[in-house]
Amino acid sequence: MLKVNPRDKTRLVDPLFAAPGWRFWLAVVFLLAVIGWGASMYLRQLTYGLGETGMDRPVYWGIYMVNFIFLIGVSMAGTLISAALQLTNIEWRRPITRIAETLTVFGLLVASLQLLFDIGRPDRLLNVVQYGRLQSPLLWDANSLTLYILTSILALYLQLLPDIALLRDNCPANAPWWRRALYTRLGLGWKGYRSQWGRLQKAITVISIAIIPIGVSLHTITSWVFSTTVQPGWKSTILGPYFVIGAIFSGIGMLFIVMTLAWRLLKLDEYIQARHYRALGWLFIVMSALWFYFTYTENLTLVAEQEAYEFPVLASKLWGSYSFSFWGMVALMVVAFWIMVVPKLLPALLRRVVVFQPRFALASTGAALVAAFFLISPQPAVTHAALMDLNTNTFGWLMVIGFVACAGLGISFWLKQHPAVSSVAAGACVVAGMWLERWNIVIPTLTHPRLIPYTIYLPSPVEISLSAASLALLALMFLVFFKLFPVISIWEVSEGRVVEDAQSRVEIPLPEPNEPNPLQSWGSRR
Amino acid sequence: MNFPMQLPVFSFFYWLVNTPGLGGICIALLSGGAIIVGSLIVRWVQGGGDSGESETYSYPTPALHKEE
Repeated sequence: MLKVNPRDKTRLVDPLFAAPGWRFWLAVVFLLAVIGWGASMYLRQLTYGLGETGMDRPVYWGIYMVNFIFLIGVSMAGTLISAALQLTNIEWRRPITRIAETLTVFGLLVASLQLLFDIGRPDRLLNVVQYGRLQSPLLWDANSLTLYILTSILALYLQLLPDIALLRDNCPANAPWWRRALYTRLGLGWKGYRSQWGRLQKAITVISIAIIPIGVSLHTITSWVFSTTVQPGWKSTILGPYFVIGAIFSGIGMLFIVMTLAWRLLKLDEYIQARHYRALGWLFIVMSALWFYFTYTENLTLVAEQEAYEFPVLASKLWGSYSFSFWGMVALMVVAFWIMVVPKLLPALLRRVVVFQPRFALASTGAALVAAFFLISPQPAVTHAALMDLNTNTFGWLMVIGFVACAGLGISFWLKQHPAVSSVAAGACVVAGMWLERWNIVIPTLTHPRLIPYTIYLPSPVEISLSAASLALLALMFLVFFKLFPVISIWEVSEGRVVEDAQSRVEIPLPEPNEPNPLQSWGSRR
Repeated sequence: MNFPMQLPVFSFFYWLVNTPGLGGICIALLSGGAIIVGSLIVRWVQGGGDSGESETYSYPTPALHKEE
């Protein structure tokens, strides 16, 4: 029988077998209600056709495709955190690998569902198999997606196997029979022999090596679905790496949110700590910088060439019908970058300066809101003529930006003291910003086609309902999965504890000093 | 210069990428292969349980595989 550390048993194993509280059931009922509403909307779409959506000629892809790209992007978290950090033997990864892997599998499954919504007639999915030709990027995507889902499920299962055996051996006497049967069946007779551990770790290493190129290929191939067309704004060679960077970035953002929810709801203070946020935060900053660079590069060529078909797409994003989503995305990313970077740069000496006090942030936010209110609200005709010329308006908005920056400075020290809150805030900004980025890639191009009149796309209530139901399904999958299996990888954390304990007992000597150079010391004062 | 489509190698590649249904076979081969390889890996890991060793471990450490 496999023994579990008493601390892990109390924190991770026992809560799995405790009767779920009213909050759990309330969350389940709410999520099921949203999913049920989504299912009824899907039936409506199935009955009346894609005319129920906002999609029409020439906009053949709407928010279903935006959701698809966004969700497979989020799924990159597992590949990065679990596989890449595991291969490089990064110790801090241990408590968050399970969450990252689960995010990958569930993100991919819900992403695949978006294709079903988008295609309108689900029976036509079989056409990919029946009539698919090797020249089609859609077929490459189907291949890559299938392979990524299967590999991710295998990776999650292999990492979970020793913990399933722990649950099987430490099941309380009053546990329901079906849970015993589930753990016994899935545990595959795992005993924890030396040879078994050796095989498992070799298998995990092989899968970790395989899953990284498969994950990168999926994101690249998804970009090829766009860039191998001649649509304005899509035929770009940089779209592949841009998708990969965006995927890793949104994956880390979503990971911040899910790991904090798990930490707060399941009281995992002992496992998820400030150092995990700090370490993941550095990765986040690197990805953020790369994302800004790629966004700049992506748009630079469009600005430089000013090609007749391409430029209107960019113009619609910069000052046209999609300027709200484009500048909203940029603002969210700037806020996320600020939250993660500025607090790290501030020296402790500045803490007492009034500009860095939370009350200054509150005052600045109030001033920004008042200024924005005056700028947005309709002005009387005379005042309008007097004040609302371009310079006054621009000055007003610059003032709002200045007040927001002051608010950012004021809250910086508070954010520095609360790494989890700041990480979640930055993560939420990035998740929302990356969804908008996917929107900015898909929609403006389709509404600005070659040769035919420009149009506008707005998602219909059916599309919004199905998107909300997809998010609810993702949340429900997490809720049910983490009621059946531990949210933290028990065996990995136990191994990490032993390794850290051993490392703390090793005294690392100072480096050997070099021999002093006699010529260098000649003439110097003693 | 016209593309030398009459050459067998180009004719073959043209047939390969343009024939409907070959993509489906490709998906079936890839996903079928992944499922078979995955099952074999799981079976191999499970097979380690038949070694009949006396000591069992709830978690590994680097020292566990030192002798291998």
